Amino acid sequence: MEDYKFLFKVVLVGNAGVGKTCLVRRFTQGLFPPGQGATIGVDFMIKTVEVENEKIKLQIWDTAGQERFRSITQSYYRSAHALILVYDISSQPTFDCLPDWLREIEEYASNKVLRILVGNKIDREDREIPTHVGEDFAQRHGMYFLETSAKEAENVERLFMEIAAELMEQARCKELPRYEQNTTSINGKTTAIGDSNSCGCSRFT
Amino acid sequence: MEDDLPTEYDVIVVGTGMTESIVAAAASRIGKKVLHLDSNEYYGGLWATFNFDGLQKWMEDLKSAASENKDFKPDLQDGEQFLQASNQYSTIENIVEDWFISNDEDLPAVLAKNTQTESSEEPSGAEKVDDDKSDKKDTKHWSIDRIKKEYRRFNIDLAPKLLFARGELVELLISSNIARYAEFRAVSRVATCMNGKLTQVPCSRADVFANKTVSVIEKRMLMQLLTSCMDQGADSPEFDGYRDKPFVEYLNTKKLTPIVKHYVMQAIAMATDKTSCRDGVNNTKHFLNSLGRYGNTPFLWPMYGSGELPQCFCRLCAVFGGVYCLKRHLDGVVTSGDKCKAILSGKQRLTLEHLVVGQGHLPPEIVASTGENKISRGIFITDRSIMKGEKENLTLLYYPPEEAGQEAVTIIELGPLTNACPQGLFIVHMTCKRTKTAKEDLAYVVKKFLKAEKLEKNVSRTPTDSQTQTSIAGGESVSKDIESKNPDDENSNNTMPQVLWSLYLNLPASDIKLSESAPNNIHLCSGPDLNLDFDFAVNQAKEIFKSMYPDEDFLPRAPDPEEIILEGEEAPGPKFEGDNSNGENEKQDNEKAEKEE
Ligand SMILES: Nc1nc2c(ncn2[C@@H]2O[C@H](COP(=O)(O)OP(=O)(O)O)[C@@H](O)[C@H]2O)c(=O)[nH]1
Ligand SMILES: [Mg+2]
Repeated sequence: MEDYKFLFKVVLVGNAGVGKTCLVRRFTQGLFPPGQGATIGVDFMIKTVEVENEKIKLQIWDTAGQERFRSITQSYYRSAHALILVYDISSQPTFDCLPDWLREIEEYASNKVLRILVGNKIDREDREIPTHVGEDFAQRHGMYFLETSAKEAENVERLFMEIAAELMEQARCKELPRYEQNTTSINGKTTAIGDSNSCGCSRFT
Repeated sequence: MEDDLPTEYDVIVVGTGMTESIVAAAASRIGKKVLHLDSNEYYGGLWATFNFDGLQKWMEDLKSAASENKDFKPDLQDGEQFLQASNQYSTIENIVEDWFISNDEDLPAVLAKNTQTESSEEPSGAEKVDDDKSDKKDTKHWSIDRIKKEYRRFNIDLAPKLLFARGELVELLISSNIARYAEFRAVSRVATCMNGKLTQVPCSRADVFANKTVSVIEKRMLMQLLTSCMDQGADSPEFDGYRDKPFVEYLNTKKLTPIVKHYVMQAIAMATDKTSCRDGVNNTKHFLNSLGRYGNTPFLWPMYGSGELPQCFCRLCAVFGGVYCLKRHLDGVVTSGDKCKAILSGKQRLTLEHLVVGQGHLPPEIVASTGENKISRGIFITDRSIMKGEKENLTLLYYPPEEAGQEAVTIIELGPLTNACPQGLFIVHMTCKRTKTAKEDLAYVVKKFLKAEKLEKNVSRTPTDSQTQTSIAGGESVSKDIESKNPDDENSNNTMPQVLWSLYLNLPASDIKLSESAPNNIHLCSGPDLNLDFDFAVNQAKEIFKSMYPDEDFLPRAPDPEEIILEGEEAPGPKFEGDNSNGENEKQDNEKAEKEE
């Protein structure tokens, strides 16, 4: 048996170029920038973290470029536990698109999914979105908020660790989005969520 | 967001139906530059699954699109010809939508609050999927407004299909490693209608022996017959002299009792009196082969609906660099001699080596026939299962024609555990070959199993059991004093599922053909076919891929994230050892892990 107590699916969305892939790479591999072409064939990244002495496996899904022409598959949002909506603090248009993204999220993601708004690239000098504007937006839409820099590794670790901690807390209080436990994953891999011991959630078989 | 598309591709795929999506994934997987377009804002075309609102929008789009007709005057080079694409929706016909319940405002002002007799203890295994628990406490009145309000909790298929546990699609999903994008639920029972009553077909050996309606002698007979089908299939000498005769003629020689014959014909082989012995035996073999892999029937249903599956292939295509663009119309194709050179789309000229097109988009000039096997569909939201059960079931029922002129109807009933509908409701899908209109074709089966009449006021529905119970806002409910009806009285009006909403429509045939003169680098992808499973689409995709790239592998296994070595990384991440928890994945374990770069 693999040694982890929780497995959570985290998905990233937001306009092309805001730094989603960099955030994932920074967190999972400590790299910036990710080399050209490296994303081909990369589906999701996995990192196991520790919160309060519990091992938590994060499965972090990137958009595979489908956001470029606004064509993310609905199935991408399925079974997500946390959703990170990213904009670029130096680009007003990426902020202006947030309502569109929220509409899509509303439509396809569970309404209990943990939502985090992230303003990325705070290392840049040419900021267009003041922190409080992002903060306000997040508050109005019931989202957590954080500003990051994938380049300088600012708040990236914290972003994912807080997600892990929050999801673990929710799992303990049974507030997580409940996905049907008796589904069949035909490749025989476990894509189970939650705690296989104390929560009574069974693993997919 | 408005940036133009890159303009040069190896393969351009138009339409995100099942076949198109598989081909797109396969081409991208071997490094071809793929552009995948769809004029809709959703994936799947006629294979799509919609929530209730999405389905309503889709129907509205049909109406408005029917009148649309743009004319194009493209800039062409010497020797080039322009063929305008056709309207994908022109082939959907006879849409009839009906409500059998009321709007909130038409209801009496005071609703009887508690029509529920649900026990406080939650039935195990019926855990609410995903959403809030609030409606457990809610009164269970279903009005038009409530269904519309809860639109997100419906997933309604245009073309519902099952997967045989050892069918082409399951094997492909596993071998390509695309299975990780999808989740499934096993169909929990195969039903059949015998002497006017629905019964569950014993599928597994254990089922057969637990079945009380079949005698020991019959059980032995059944096992014997099934064994001979299994061992050699239709080639077995057992079937000499019968292969091309009707399956039923062969069965008649076996002196089977009516019950056993019925099980074999109607549930296992899903045969009519016309089905050949060869087909009957092969169907039986297919059914038996798929038993025992995932659940107690041979079938799987994709969670959130069939429309998820094309998307899984699209995701893989994108992961390997395919470019995706929805809401992008194909205006037409540019041909020169016997080749298609480019497509025109949104003022751009996009060049290609191969064009893969869903049938709805083809220019009419290159279509030879519009096909024979058109499809009649009926979709129903109901308040209980067609067949009582101890738990929520996912049911397959094959219903052969009662008289000449009727077609066999495939019925799939989905409950909340599949995410098809909210708690308390069911979705019934009916599919058959079209002869008249969908409503006419399906009428005899609807009458048999569903109560499709406007729910009268002042009628309250007797709860059947806690799993299927609901009560409908058709009038004032006075449930406290309802005398309980005889629960065995299956066909009494009060235990038949009440239809809340229904939709009939006719879909185009899948067996359309390209004309001889069509450029040979245009590849046609069919829409949904009449078969229960996806094999037709998978096989078509394989053929198309092979004709484009005869020497290349078709969807070799994509690496798992932990197998990919990224540049700059010194050592691969830790291998996961806990993955092989149950013997299902022998296959991929043996396969060598691939490494990118
Ligand atoms: N200055 C700065 N540039 C960044 C940061 N994160 C990403 N980028 C750059 O933004 C561009 C797009 O990043 P990418 O991760 O591919 O964005 P994606 O399309 O959202 O996945 C790349 O050129 C990155 O180098 C950051 O935190 N600071
Ligand atoms: Mg990216």
